[in-house]
Amino acid sequence: MVTLAIAKQTLEDMLRRKILLVLLIIAVGMIALGPSVGFLSPRESSAVLRSLGLAVILLAGLLITILSGIQVIPTEIERRTIYTVLSKPVQRYEFVLGKFLGGIFTVFVMIAAMGVVFLSVLAWQEKRFDPEMLKGVVLTFFQMTLLGALAIFFSTFATPVVNFFLSFGLFIVGNLSSVTDSLISNKNPATRIMANAVHYIIPNFGNFNLQNKLIHPSVEISNANVFIVQNIVYAVIYSAVLLLLAILVFDKREV
Amino acid sequence: MKASTRRNLGLAVIPLLIATMFLQAAIDPSVREINKGQKTAFQGLSGEFVLGPLLGLQQAVAGLLWVRADEFFHSGDYDAILPIVRMVTWLDPHQLDVYITGAWHLAYNFTDSSERSDRRYIPASQRLLEEGDANNPEIYDIAFELGWQNSDKIKDFARAEYWYRKASGRHGADERGQAKAPVPMFVWHQLAHSLARLGRLEESVDVWKKALSMSEDFVKKNPTDFSRRNVRDSEVHNLELTQKRIFSRYKHELDWEVDAKVGKGVNRETGEPLSRDTYVFVTGSEVSQKAAAYAKAGLSAPAMAVGLPRPPAIEPMWNTAFDVRPVFTAPKVLEVKGRFNVGDGARVTVRLHDDTYRNAQLKEFSFDINQDQTLMLDQHSVRAGTFGRKVDMSKDPKMYSFKGDTYYLVFEFNPRATSPFIHDRFGWSGEGMTDPKYLWTDSSLQPDVRWVRKVYRITRDQVFGASIPESAVVSNEEYARMMAEPMTTK
Repeated sequence: MVTLAIAKQTLEDMLRRKILLVLLIIAVGMIALGPSVGFLSPRESSAVLRSLGLAVILLAGLLITILSGIQVIPTEIERRTIYTVLSKPVQRYEFVLGKFLGGIFTVFVMIAAMGVVFLSVLAWQEKRFDPEMLKGVVLTFFQMTLLGALAIFFSTFATPVVNFFLSFGLFIVGNLSSVTDSLISNKNPATRIMANAVHYIIPNFGNFNLQNKLIHPSVEISNANVFIVQNIVYAVIYSAVLLLLAILVFDKREV
Repeated sequence: MKASTRRNLGLAVIPLLIATMFLQAAIDPSVREINKGQKTAFQGLSGEFVLGPLLGLQQAVAGLLWVRADEFFHSGDYDAILPIVRMVTWLDPHQLDVYITGAWHLAYNFTDSSERSDRRYIPASQRLLEEGDANNPEIYDIAFELGWQNSDKIKDFARAEYWYRKASGRHGADERGQAKAPVPMFVWHQLAHSLARLGRLEESVDVWKKALSMSEDFVKKNPTDFSRRNVRDSEVHNLELTQKRIFSRYKHELDWEVDAKVGKGVNRETGEPLSRDTYVFVTGSEVSQKAAAYAKAGLSAPAMAVGLPRPPAIEPMWNTAFDVRPVFTAPKVLEVKGRFNVGDGARVTVRLHDDTYRNAQLKEFSFDINQDQTLMLDQHSVRAGTFGRKVDMSKDPKMYSFKGDTYYLVFEFNPRATSPFIHDRFGWSGEGMTDPKYLWTDSSLQPDVRWVRKVYRITRDQVFGASIPESAVVSNEEYARMMAEPMTTK
């Protein structure tokens, strides 16, 4: 209950932040402008509309997740409100979990809003509702959940600026999963070891990229639903690992 | 937090991390399937476009790049489009239209000042399409495009048939997500046309029958689909026309004018008009004309009388009396004067190339072509038994560098690439034509095809104005043997 109360308070706090709302408005505007690529052939136009819509959701989600994730704990420390909270019967792990959940609720609300606009624009443009695209939006949300957990973990010991670069940098490295995957079979043993380490230890954000399948229906994978479930489980377990580490670090931190 | 709790939490991290590793290993095969054919995130990308792929937005960057390419296209800046095509296909190997448009630019839009295509780009164009087809092996689009390019541009009907057949075994994909839609009927139609071009007429007829059967089934189930009914009607027309042509060219010549006026049907198995009077002679003068043709060929005419079927259209053998004299009136300016005893509208192909040039088969796609190589191809129409015009290559030194020492100058007529009204006289494979000097029978693909071809082997000095003697003519067999050899580079 305490965790949920902190999460609720965090969500309300986040939704009041103008920067996040501005990001949301810009993203929604860009998605709504998608059909302006209609001068291409129908097939190209559809591919561009779908890829741009998913890209805008991802980019906006990325900024919203990082901006909220890097600030939730340091801001409380900076404003000294954390002393008020922790002086009450609130465990530190409850505080960390509450902040994480609050941030994720925020991201959920934002991505859901963008997703609704995107799917509506697509349905209007293509004269039918494509439920497949929902999978892309869902996977983006879980990708952001993992990123949010990463940002929360870093926020327990790093300043917001350092955290921003750490989270963003790891997001980029984690997106190069196709590169690290190909390097795993490299002839050079040192490269192989490094590639394995990066591929299996660093959060693999590239896993969540289902765009090829969603944009081009002809791309087939053996079992798309299993793939999606695997990714959701991956995000949940990896987020749990990061939150455990965040709790352990925050527990030792002097505040 | 108690120390034991902290320890337990710390220990819990380890199995969870191991679980993520196993999950990652399970996820990897699916990710590989999704990204098949896609190059690494930022290969070949300029700085402004690197960030998107780093964030996993390859498809979005590819889309934006293609929007930019469209702007270049409308401003006529074709050179700028090709690097974008390369990048887009690397980022998103499922953009079928990008492969097709890029290949079209390469094969058709690089031209000299007289609008002749730079055919040195054709292998690159083909390779780009082959790469796209390999990345989209279930979809018909790119295989169809390969068939079309081989048929329309290269006139290699065997390759065209190969790709059309592949395309016909695929399925369609469109922007509405109908990934398993059947291929459009025009794929089958083109397969039938390519088989006819190859002289494989029975197979062509079989494909028309199959296409017609598919359309009839479809129309039965969807009687209000008027578009498909039109397609079915066109298949009826093409099937009957092909059968009538086979009948007229190889069995009994039809009087097309009378047949068209009467508008009778045709026996779809034999090609014979349902009304017999549509293919018999209608006047005595036609019998005389036919008899005169036999006499001209030095043959005795078969028994013909008004009211009886006439002999097939390809008889008697027609002497094309082909010959040509090339002269370079100025450096790199070729003047062609030839005679060719065929109907107006037939086209003679004029080709000039390095003696080392062969049809390249690229292993990897590349825009880079051998700029030192010269390859010119022109088509000259026959009018009143003559052909020829000036071919000025002096204004385009990049296309026609003439850096080699020796060249082949080829004048040829391929009956399979010509128009139906010429086929009406010669047949699909040139069965009805002969030539005392330059007839060459190509037996590499069955049935045999009879070409008319005259080949000169000339020197660089001759390209720059020295006269070309008739002793420079080489045999067709020698030229064919040489062209079959692998490409050598200087």
